[in-house]
Amino acid sequence: MEESVIEQPQQESPPEQEQASAASRSEENRKLMAFLIGVAGWAVPGLGHALQKMWGRALAVFLAVGALVMLGAGMRGNLFTSRGEDAFATLGYFADLGSGTFYWVARIAETAGPDTSHSAGDYGTRFLATAGVLNLLAALHAYEAARGRKA
Amino acid sequence: MTAPLTHLQSMVLFALIISLAFGTLGRRRPKERLKYAAWSFFLFLLIGIAIGWAMYPFSR
Repeated sequence: MEESVIEQPQQESPPEQEQASAASRSEENRKLMAFLIGVAGWAVPGLGHALQKMWGRALAVFLAVGALVMLGAGMRGNLFTSRGEDAFATLGYFADLGSGTFYWVARIAETAGPDTSHSAGDYGTRFLATAGVLNLLAALHAYEAARGRKA
Repeated sequence: MTAPLTHLQSMVLFALIISLAFGTLGRRRPKERLKYAAWSFFLFLLIGIAIGWAMYPFSR
């Protein structure tokens, strides 16, 4: 009868286990930091990049989102609220909310309220929504950069 | 606060801001950023004006 050869898994020596454990912990920390950087980037446009010392990108995102929000509010665009009447209003709310704290800046800046009876107001609505979506894109970019992926 | 802008001015301003942001986020080197931003800006305007003309027959 042939002897069956069963490969025994090689046991890792203690230093190797420690190294693997440390690497795992480091990866977990990196994931958490990347998530926090992404959230920071959403909350304050450009902050996600600023925390990683990507100053040019941080400034560009801050200025682009800020300009879109201020122009949108100046044009009296419609800033959606959580009490949307239909799916489009809810979608618009999520897009607007993408600009983080700038959403409330727009609410404060738009003292006269929205007026979409003119084309300027309609453009303003698009400017505000685009500001939110652009900021979400930037926050995702900051997250990817923090994870060490090509950004 | 009011910003009285025409349709074209609004579109150009929108395209300019977004193109600059795209260029800065999408590329690393300044020269590449500028090229990418200029190309995005050109395409934004071209497609915007083309869609405008395509809708023209239905505007009246």
